[in-house]
Amino acid sequence: MRLSYSLIVTVAILAFGALAPVIFKTQPYVLYVLTLALCYAIPVVGVNLLYGYTGLVSLGHMGFAGIGAYTTALLMKSAGMPFLPALLIGAIASGGVGLLVGIPCLRLRSHFFIVVTLAVGMILYTLFNNLDSITGGAEGLPGIPRPQRFSLGSWNMEFRSVSGFYTLTFIVTALVFGLQTLLVRSDFGRSLSSVRQDEALASARGVNVFAHKLTAFALSAAIAGVGGAMKVLFLRAAAPLSFELQESINLIVMLIVGGAGYLIGPLVGAIGFIALPEFLRAAAELRLVFFGFVLLVIARLAPRGICGTVELLFRKLSGKDASVVRHS
Amino acid sequence: MATAIFEQLINGAMMGSIYVLMALGMVLIFGVMQVLNFAHGVLFMIGGYFADLFFFHVTGSYPLSVIFSMLSLALIGIVLERAIFRALRQNLPMQIVASLGLILIIQNGVIQFWGPAALQMRTSSVSSLVKIGQLSFTVQQFVIIAVVAAAVVTLYLFLMRTRLGTAMRATSQHPEAAVVVGINPNRVYSITFAIACALAGAGGALLGPLFLIFPQMGDGPMLKALSAIIIGGMGSVPGAIIGGLGIGIIESLSTLAIPTDYRDTVVFAILILMLLLRPWGLFGVRVRGEC
Amino acid sequence: MSAILEVSGVSKRFGGIRAVDGATFSLQCPGIFGLIGPNGAGKTTMFDIICGRHVPDSGEVRFHAERINGVAPYRLAREGLARTFQECRVLPDETCMDNVLFAAQDKRLGREMLQAVSRGTAARRNTGAEARRLLRLINLERYADQPAGALSYGQRRLLEIVSCLMSKPRILLLDEPASGINPTLLNTLRDFLIEIYRETKIVFLIVEHNMEFIMSLASEIVVMHQGRVLAQGAPEQIQSDKSVIDAYLGQS
Repeated sequence: MRLSYSLIVTVAILAFGALAPVIFKTQPYVLYVLTLALCYAIPVVGVNLLYGYTGLVSLGHMGFAGIGAYTTALLMKSAGMPFLPALLIGAIASGGVGLLVGIPCLRLRSHFFIVVTLAVGMILYTLFNNLDSITGGAEGLPGIPRPQRFSLGSWNMEFRSVSGFYTLTFIVTALVFGLQTLLVRSDFGRSLSSVRQDEALASARGVNVFAHKLTAFALSAAIAGVGGAMKVLFLRAAAPLSFELQESINLIVMLIVGGAGYLIGPLVGAIGFIALPEFLRAAAELRLVFFGFVLLVIARLAPRGICGTVELLFRKLSGKDASVVRHS
Repeated sequence: MATAIFEQLINGAMMGSIYVLMALGMVLIFGVMQVLNFAHGVLFMIGGYFADLFFFHVTGSYPLSVIFSMLSLALIGIVLERAIFRALRQNLPMQIVASLGLILIIQNGVIQFWGPAALQMRTSSVSSLVKIGQLSFTVQQFVIIAVVAAAVVTLYLFLMRTRLGTAMRATSQHPEAAVVVGINPNRVYSITFAIACALAGAGGALLGPLFLIFPQMGDGPMLKALSAIIIGGMGSVPGAIIGGLGIGIIESLSTLAIPTDYRDTVVFAILILMLLLRPWGLFGVRVRGEC
Repeated sequence: MSAILEVSGVSKRFGGIRAVDGATFSLQCPGIFGLIGPNGAGKTTMFDIICGRHVPDSGEVRFHAERINGVAPYRLAREGLARTFQECRVLPDETCMDNVLFAAQDKRLGREMLQAVSRGTAARRNTGAEARRLLRLINLERYADQPAGALSYGQRRLLEIVSCLMSKPRILLLDEPASGINPTLLNTLRDFLIEIYRETKIVFLIVEHNMEFIMSLASEIVVMHQGRVLAQGAPEQIQSDKSVIDAYLGQS
């Protein structure tokens, strides 16, 4: 029964997302906000893999997004590299840094691991801000080119317009979510889950806990890198402020509000955090105060976020036992 | 050169004292309740705003303003503990979520009420100067050092000599045993939070006049205080004091050798090294981990 | 033929305490072995050393002649060494079925990533049938799709043991399986363990405090006292061994 629900939801979301440029043809602002939300949803997928499924909290993940962002931007702007290879190299760069950071840091216990990710994120931000010759310092890198037009027979796609770049972002985001599903619903995902639930037990059943944590960390860093790259390509500029501590914290907020451990949690969270307030025209501070209260409610009453609450309601309505099994 | 070093030592001792105030609060909450309160920075910040409020609108006396600010923060602390943190005691991820929620509410609430521009609070202790050799410092800098020193002594006496303080120590060392001997844990938690928040508020009230009072003023100090309690050892009060002072002094001295942009990096680099080599800190107890 | 499990001269100290002090014993042929001893005897530490949780300061542990001391627990699990925990651990968020299936999963990282792409469902169907059989054995088939966290303690204990069996281990190490079990269910548990042994002939090593339980279950008992092995033999032998009686009486 549950399988068909998630299939319906998935198809509906994909259909809506694919048709958005048509639906909102006369409202480019909506497409603008949606694109931005998707650019954030991608790194949140990385954080979901890390926290929702493996149980590791990282408070510095935008740092990895920044590595991917600056790498891709520099390759496309200064080396004239086309989009796809630049993006892949950006992902590899951020994944590689994630690997290097993970190796010494993942053996720390949870409190300490969280703090070290915070420190790493801050150091990365300081580097972005101060290595002027590479990153352009506090002003960043302006004038990042959009990907070249893409032609397949008579079918043309350009990426200079909002609707064009939206489509590109939608495709990349869909692929990232597809990757998440592939990983989570596999033996690898089940092992990650076991690490989250009980490390000692996972170990006793044959799971190399450290290797799994490291792989999850590197993958999530690479995914964050893709998100960062898309964002700076969209905004046509890379600046350190995009990748500072508050941004990393926002990723966590989006994930928790959306629902950690759920496949569409990142999407719900990103849309809720970025898109909804724009459409509701709420003042910036009030929006944030509102989110603060949402977080408090979640922390005390609904740790599983929006997706979790929805799942709970479904179960209550269908009369089933309300004990929740964390599946996607 | 010697004068430059001396100047930075005083600055460092002063900032270090501020960090100590924050670190003490955070280490008490962590030791007694196993709660990591990331929101301590915004509590520090509204300490400054309340002091400004009391100073300009209630009493023209700076010391009284500080005290009223501390009392207000203590009350806020009790409310926060009851409503939010008591239930999250063993749940680190949700503590982070709740802390983030508080930060969003308080920081943006302050911007709504007081506006985004910084406040300036000129007290006599900031206007008057002390001259040592060629250097001049404000009285406030020494006031901070002296007040924090007094606070540390008071806290020590409280923890060691009073029933309530002993109850706090007992609860942090062995919660179940403390309950068995009749200590009411909820009361201990409330008192701990009250004291911790009062100390944070004092920090904001003391630092505010020296620089400016603005919504983000607590963010940096909170991170330094967090670093301090980790370097000092997560449950250790002496560790928090030495960590806080140490960070303040090292930070200030490092500006003599490294560009100020990288000043924070020095602290974080030390933090990372500590975490990798000796995570239980200088004074912490090494716990044998699983697996 | 080499011994199944051979412990030689193992020592381990924590701080100033010598938890295990030159312990030596071996399990020669298949059977249900008990490891007992008064408080402080070192049996839990010995058990943890065999399971890879602690590295001994000196001495060796050999499993089918291969050195296993100092090897990480996850490697030992892949070598056929399955263990349960005193506090009874299952994956609380997973269904009973998934708990059992997980034990049989190939957990090598490369294989897992491959499975993400190849999605081999045929293998999962086959193991599914075996998993269901095991759940039926412990009367939990109707809970197959319920989260394991919802089970009672006794049910979780059985689930834990049966998950171990799923991985087709060569030795099964049980850490105080009777602890926390309602006395009326102890007989069921004991009969269940005997039944498993008859069916699979897997070697059992059971650390236990409950004398009645272990004496009626084990074919051979190893007694530890003050970090050393005091005696080893059939239950009747051990029960009438003077040095064993003294060791236990001397504790009170």
